[in-house]
Amino acid sequence: MTVNHYDAIVIGGGHNGLVAAAYLARAGKKVVVLERREIVGGAAVTEEIIPGFKFTEFSYVVSLLRPEIIRELELPKHGLKILPLPSTFAPMDNGDYLGLWDDPDLTRRELYRHSPLDAEAYDAYSRAMGRAAKAIKPLISLIPPDPSSLHPRDLMGLLKLGQYAAGLSEKELYMIAKLVTQSAGDMLEEWFETDVLLGTKAASGVVGTLLGPRSAGTAYVLLHHYMGEIDGAFRAWGFAKGGTGGVSGAIANAALALGAEIRVGSSVAQVIVKKGRAAGVALDNGDELQSKVVFSAADPKRTFLQFVDPKYFPDEFIQSIKNFRTLGSSGKLNLALSELPDFTALPGEGPLHRGAISISPSLDYIERAYDEAKYGQFSRRPFIDMIIPSAIDPDMAPPGQHVASCFIQYAPYDLEGGWDDAKKEAFAETVISTLEIYAPNIRRTIVGKQVITPVDIERIAGITGGNIFHGEMLLNQIFFLRPVAGWADFRTPLRGYYLAASGAHPGGGVMGAAGKLSVQEALKDGLL
Amino acid sequence: MKTYDAIIIGAGHNGLVSAAYLAKAGKQVLVLESRAIPGGTLVTEEFDGFMADMVQSGNLCPDIIRNLKLARFGLKPKPVSEIPAFISLLPDSDILVLESDPVKAAESIKRFSPKDAARWPDFLTFMEKATKFLESAYDTLMPRLPKVSLSEGYSLAELALDLRLAGRKNMLNIIRVIPMTAVEFLEEWFESEQLKAAVASVGIHGVTLGVMSAGTTFNLIHNWLNRGGLAHQYLGRAGQVTDALVAAAEAYGAEMRLSAEVTSIKIEDNQAAGVVLKDGEEISAQTVLSSADPKRTFLTLVGPMELSPTFVWHTQSIKMRGSVAKLHLGLKSLPDGMAADTTYTIAPALNYLERAYDAAKYGQISEKPYLEVTTSENVISIHFQYAPYKLKQGAWNDKRDTLEKLAVDTLAVHFPELQSSIVKSKLLTPADLETTYSLTEGDLNHGQIMLDQFMFMRPIPGWSNHKTPIDGLYLCGSGVHAGGGISGASGRNAAKVVSKEI
Amino acid sequence: MIQLLHTPFHERTELLCQPKNWRRWAGYLVAGSYEMSLDREYWAIRNTAALIDVSPLMKYLITGVDAALLLNRVVTRDIDKLQVGQVYYTGWCDEDGKMIDDGTLSRLDETTYRLTSAEPSLRWLTMNAVGLELEITEITDSMAALSLQGPNSSSVLNRCCDNPVDEIKYFRLMHNELDGIPISISRTGYTGDLGYEIWIDAKDALPVWDALIAAGHDFGILPVGILAMDMARVEAGLFMIESDYTSSDHAWIKAQQSSPFELGLGWTVNLDKPGYFVGRPALAREQREGSTWKLMGLEVEWDGLEALFKDVGLPPQILSMAIRASLPVRSGKKQIGYVSTATWSPLLKKYIALAHLQKPYFEPGTNLRMEVTVQHHRQYAPARVVTLPFYEPEWKKR
Repeated sequence: MTVNHYDAIVIGGGHNGLVAAAYLARAGKKVVVLERREIVGGAAVTEEIIPGFKFTEFSYVVSLLRPEIIRELELPKHGLKILPLPSTFAPMDNGDYLGLWDDPDLTRRELYRHSPLDAEAYDAYSRAMGRAAKAIKPLISLIPPDPSSLHPRDLMGLLKLGQYAAGLSEKELYMIAKLVTQSAGDMLEEWFETDVLLGTKAASGVVGTLLGPRSAGTAYVLLHHYMGEIDGAFRAWGFAKGGTGGVSGAIANAALALGAEIRVGSSVAQVIVKKGRAAGVALDNGDELQSKVVFSAADPKRTFLQFVDPKYFPDEFIQSIKNFRTLGSSGKLNLALSELPDFTALPGEGPLHRGAISISPSLDYIERAYDEAKYGQFSRRPFIDMIIPSAIDPDMAPPGQHVASCFIQYAPYDLEGGWDDAKKEAFAETVISTLEIYAPNIRRTIVGKQVITPVDIERIAGITGGNIFHGEMLLNQIFFLRPVAGWADFRTPLRGYYLAASGAHPGGGVMGAAGKLSVQEALKDGLL
Repeated sequence: MKTYDAIIIGAGHNGLVSAAYLAKAGKQVLVLESRAIPGGTLVTEEFDGFMADMVQSGNLCPDIIRNLKLARFGLKPKPVSEIPAFISLLPDSDILVLESDPVKAAESIKRFSPKDAARWPDFLTFMEKATKFLESAYDTLMPRLPKVSLSEGYSLAELALDLRLAGRKNMLNIIRVIPMTAVEFLEEWFESEQLKAAVASVGIHGVTLGVMSAGTTFNLIHNWLNRGGLAHQYLGRAGQVTDALVAAAEAYGAEMRLSAEVTSIKIEDNQAAGVVLKDGEEISAQTVLSSADPKRTFLTLVGPMELSPTFVWHTQSIKMRGSVAKLHLGLKSLPDGMAADTTYTIAPALNYLERAYDAAKYGQISEKPYLEVTTSENVISIHFQYAPYKLKQGAWNDKRDTLEKLAVDTLAVHFPELQSSIVKSKLLTPADLETTYSLTEGDLNHGQIMLDQFMFMRPIPGWSNHKTPIDGLYLCGSGVHAGGGISGASGRNAAKVVSKEI
Repeated sequence: MIQLLHTPFHERTELLCQPKNWRRWAGYLVAGSYEMSLDREYWAIRNTAALIDVSPLMKYLITGVDAALLLNRVVTRDIDKLQVGQVYYTGWCDEDGKMIDDGTLSRLDETTYRLTSAEPSLRWLTMNAVGLELEITEITDSMAALSLQGPNSSSVLNRCCDNPVDEIKYFRLMHNELDGIPISISRTGYTGDLGYEIWIDAKDALPVWDALIAAGHDFGILPVGILAMDMARVEAGLFMIESDYTSSDHAWIKAQQSSPFELGLGWTVNLDKPGYFVGRPALAREQREGSTWKLMGLEVEWDGLEALFKDVGLPPQILSMAIRASLPVRSGKKQIGYVSTATWSPLLKKYIALAHLQKPYFEPGTNLRMEVTVQHHRQYAPARVVTLPFYEPEWKKR
C-alpha cells in the first residue's frame, strides 16, 4: 500500500515537471511526479521505435537548458552529456550550398563566396544578437510583474524591471524593442542579401509558431533561440547524449536521487479542490493522492480546462485560456537509414552530417510554406531542419547505420479535413521528395520511418494542439502575458495550484526554467 | 531679405498644422510647397472635369480644429446623423450595412449572427476605450528612452494613468490586443465571417500587412481613431479641409509659397541653416521643419553625408513599401444601388483579404483585391489593395490597364451598370503617388504602420520626439509618432516641440 | 574545402617553416617563425633585412570621384591633404569616437586609394558610402603583400628592382618593376626600422619572393615570421588591434573601447578638417575635456626585477618573445592600468611593455609597478612610464 500523502504533486513527467520535482525534493519536500505514459520525458523522449534505431521523437536539440539547473541538480552526475552540434548546412536550389561552420573565419570565408557584404554583416549581426540576448537574458529569470496590479509583489517586480531597463543603454533598449516587434524577415533583410542565408536564419524565427518569417514578432522567436548562443563560451546548440530522452532521464535520476517519487502509468483525471485550495489529485484508475500543493506541468489548456472544474476560475480567466494560441504547426519525420544521406552540393561524408541540415533556400520559400499552412494545408515544400543524431552519438543506431530527425514546418494541427493515415503518408512523402532534391540517395536508404503530426504530439505527449512550446511564443503570449495577463508568476486563481511548464513564462524549449521558477515562487507562498 | 523663424517643407496637412500653430504662437513662418496647390495628399483635384479627393480624405483631431479655430475658416463638422454607413459588399448581392447608429448596425448584423449583433455595442465600447487611449498616446511626446526627462516622465505617467483609468482589465486588454492580428482579435469577439472580414479590412487599410499579420489590431484602432469609427467621418472634401488650414495659417501670419520645391536642406556645422530650392534660390532659417517623409528628409534633403552611418542605415531600413493604388471614376451617374457619400468595402471573407495580401508579399498585384470605395454624386474613388510598389515583374506603367480593369471588374460584380456609366478615369499607381505626391515608395503613411514603427519607434527608435541628429531640423509629417492618416497630430506635436525651443 | 586559406607565398613558406608553428591571421595561415628560435629572425629586422609575409592584411581599393569624400567621412585624418604617392597611417572610429580599426591609406592616383585594415571593413565602408559615386573592391585575396624590413632593405630592393628606391621618402610609395613584374613599394612597416612594404598581384607572388631572396642573399635577408615582428613592433611603440585594443565593433561593454586619443593617436585626429566625419562630435568633446586613459611605454627596472627573482634563488626569467597577455599595473596597492603586450627587447636589453594607464599615472617618469610571475607567484616589479617608441633608429625616417 503506497502512502498517498505528499507535500506536492507534480502532474506530468516532462522535463519541466521533473525539474520542478527535483527542486521540490531538494527543498526537502515529499513530492511525487505523476506521468500518464509508461516512460517519463513528455516531449523530451527517446524511443526505440524501430529495433536498434533510437528516435528522438519530438524535441531533438538542446540549447536553452538553463546551466544553473545542470549545475544545481548535478545532472552530469546523472548521465547528462551535451554534445556539440556545431554547424548548419543549407543546400540551395542551384546545386550550391551555404555552410555556417564552427569557426568564424571559416564561416566568413564561406559566406564571402555568396556575398562579401553578408560575410561581414554576419559577424556584426551575431554580435548584435549576442548583445541583445545578453541584455534580455535577465528577464528570463525575472518573475514577470503584473503592471496593472498594486500588489507589493508586483510593484517590487516593476521596480526590478525598471532597474533592469535603466541598466540598459539606449541602444540596447531600442534593439530589444525592435526585436520584440519586428518580423524575422524584416530584421534579417536589414542585414543580409543572400537568399539562402535569409531563409536559414529566418527559419529559426518561425519554429513552433503558426507564423511566417514576414509576420511581426518572429524576430523575438529568433532571439529566443539565440539565448543558447549567448553562453557562447559554454557552447551553443547541442545534442544530448541519448537524445532529449537523455536529458529527461538525467533529470529523473537527479529527482529520484533527491528523494522524489515518480509514478509512470498514472493518468490524472482531476485536481481535488478542498476549501478553495488544490488538495490533491484523482487518477483515472480512481486512486486519490493528497497533497498541500499541486503543480501542473501540462499545457495551460489541460491544466485549466481539463484538470480542474472551471467553477474555480473566473470566467475571464477561462476565456483567456481558451484564447491562448496553442495550435501546433510543426511535425517530425524520424527516419532509420541504412547509410548517410549524400548531398549533391557537398558529396561524401563530412562535417555537415554532424550539424544541422536546413532546407531553407530562401525567405520566400519559408513564407510560401507558411501561406499553405494559413489555409489549412501542410506545406508542399516545407522547411526541414534535419539532424543525424547517430553521426554525433554512434549509440543511437546500429553500427554503420543511422537515424535522422527531421523537424518539419508547416504541418498545421487544423489540417483541412483533419489528419488521417493517408494524409500522414502524403506528408511523409512530401518531406522525402523534398529531401530527395538535395540528397537523391535518401529514399533508398530509408529502412523505417515514424511520422509525427501535431495531432500525434497531442495524442502521445499530451500537449493540447500539439504545439511544441505549449503555446506560441507570440508577442501577446510572452512575459507578463504568458499564459494569461496577470497570471504570469506561475500562480493560478486556484490557491495551491501552480503552472510549471512551457505554457508559463519564460516559455518553450528544453529549458527547464518554468519548472524551477514555479517551485521558487510556490515556496514563498507558505503553503508547503 | 526677409528672415524667418522657421521654414516648413511641404504644405500637406501636417505642414500646414505646424505652420498655423507656430504662426499663432507669433513665429515668422514660411511654408514651401513643391506643387502648385497646397494640401499634399489632402487635396481635391480635377480630372477631365470631375472632382475627386485624389489621395486621402480625413478628419483632423478635434483639438486642432478647436485650437486653430478652423470653424471660423470654413470648416464645420457634420452633425452625427449625417455620418455615412459602412457597407460591406458580399457575394450574391448580399450586403452588411454597418451604420454609425449601433442599434441599426446590430439589426443588420443579426442576419448573419444574432450573437454578434448582441456583442456589437460592447465591441464599440471597447474600441472607444482603445481609441481614447491611442488618442492620448498621440497627444504625448515620446521621450528618448531611457533618459526620460522629468516633464516627459510626467506626461508618460499621465499616459499610463489614462490607461490605468480605463480600468485594470481594460488596461491589460488594450496592451494585449495591440500586437494581435486582426483575425485573432475579431475572433475573440465575433463568429460571423462577414462581420469579422468587414471590420478586419479597416485593420489592413493603408498598410502592406494581411489580416493575419501581427499588429493589424493596432492599425485597426489607429484607423478607427482617425476615421472616427468604421466609416470615414469626413469634415468635408479634402480640399475644403486644406483650404481652411491654409486660411487659418495665413490669417495667423504664416507665409506660403507654392511651386517652390525644396531640393536640399542647408546644414552648417550640424545646424540647420535653411533650404535650397530647385531653381537655386536659398532661404535661410535656423529652424526647419520637414513634413516630407523621413526617408526623403534624411536621405535626399539632408543627404547621408551629414548623418552618422548607423542613422543612415536605420533610415534606409524604415519600411515604406506602399501597396495602395487609387482609382477615380468619373460617372454619368452612380450605378443603381450605389449611394453617394458612402463607404463600401469589398472584404467578403478573412481568407479573401489574406490571399489578397499574399500576392503583395511576392511583388504581385492582388488578383482578388480588397477595395474600399467612397462615393460622391458622380465620382467614385477606389482604394485598391494590394498594388505593391516593388513589382517582381514589369514596371508600373505597363500595369495600368490591368489594375484598372481588375478594380472595375471587382466592383462591377456588385454594380453591373458600373461599366457603362464610366466617363473618365484617373489612376494613381504607387509609382504615381511617389512622383506626384512625394510619397517614398507610394506609402500613404510616410512609413508603414506596424509594431516596430509605432510610438517611440516611429520613425526610428530614439527619434520619435520630432528632433533629428541635425540641430534645428525637426520632423513634422506622418512619418513620426502620432502620424499616419489625416489627423494633423504629428504636425501639432512638432509645433509644440519647436515653439519650446525657438 | 572547409579550411583556412594559404597566402600566395605558401609554397615557399611551407618548406621554410621548420617549427610548423602556423598562426591564424584573418582566416589565413602564416608562419609564426621559420626557425626554432626567434633570435636570428629578430636580429634580421634590426641588423640586416627581414622578409615577412603580410598578405592576410585586409586590402581595399576605393576608386571614383567621391572616393575622397568617403575616406574623409570614415577616417580621422584629413584626406584632402594626402597627395598622390603618399601614405597615411590612420585610425577610424564609430559614432562615439571609439576606435574601430587602424591601417594605412595610400593615394594611388587622383581618385584611387588603397586602404589596409586588420578586420574586414567592406561593410563599414559601404555603409558610409550611401549616395556616393565610387567603387569599393576588396583585394585581400588578389593582392599579395610582403614587408621587407631592416637597415639593408633598401639595398636589397635596389639590387633587384628596375628603379632605385632611395628616393622614396618615409610614408611615400612608388611604382616599380622587378623582372618585368609591376610592383608597388611603400616605405612603411610595422617594425620601427627602415623598411618597405611591397604590393604585388597574387599571381606574381612567387617570382617576387624568389627574386628578393636571391637579391638579399648578400645582405643577410631572412624570412621572418610574425612572432619576431611582434617583438620589434613593441620596441617601435606600435600597437595591435585585439591585443592592445578592442575594436569598438567587438566590445561588449564601453570599458573595452578605446578612443584614438587614449591610444596616443591624437595626432591623427584632424578636427580642423571641414564637415562631418564619423565620431567627430565625440572626438571634439574628448579633445576639449582630455582623456582619462593613455597608452604609454613601461620599462621594468631591471634591478627591481632581479631582486624579486633573487628572493627565490633564481636569475631573472623573461620569455624571449612578446607576451600578449593582460598584466595589472599598480601605483602602490592600487591598480591604475594594465599592460597589453610586454616583451624582452634583445636590442635594448630591457623588459618593456605597452601599458594603458589612467590619469594622472600616464605622465612620463611616473614610477609604477607591473605584474611579473616569479616561480608561480605573482609579484610586482618596479617600472617607469616612458614615451613611445622605445627605439627609433635615425635611419627609419631618413
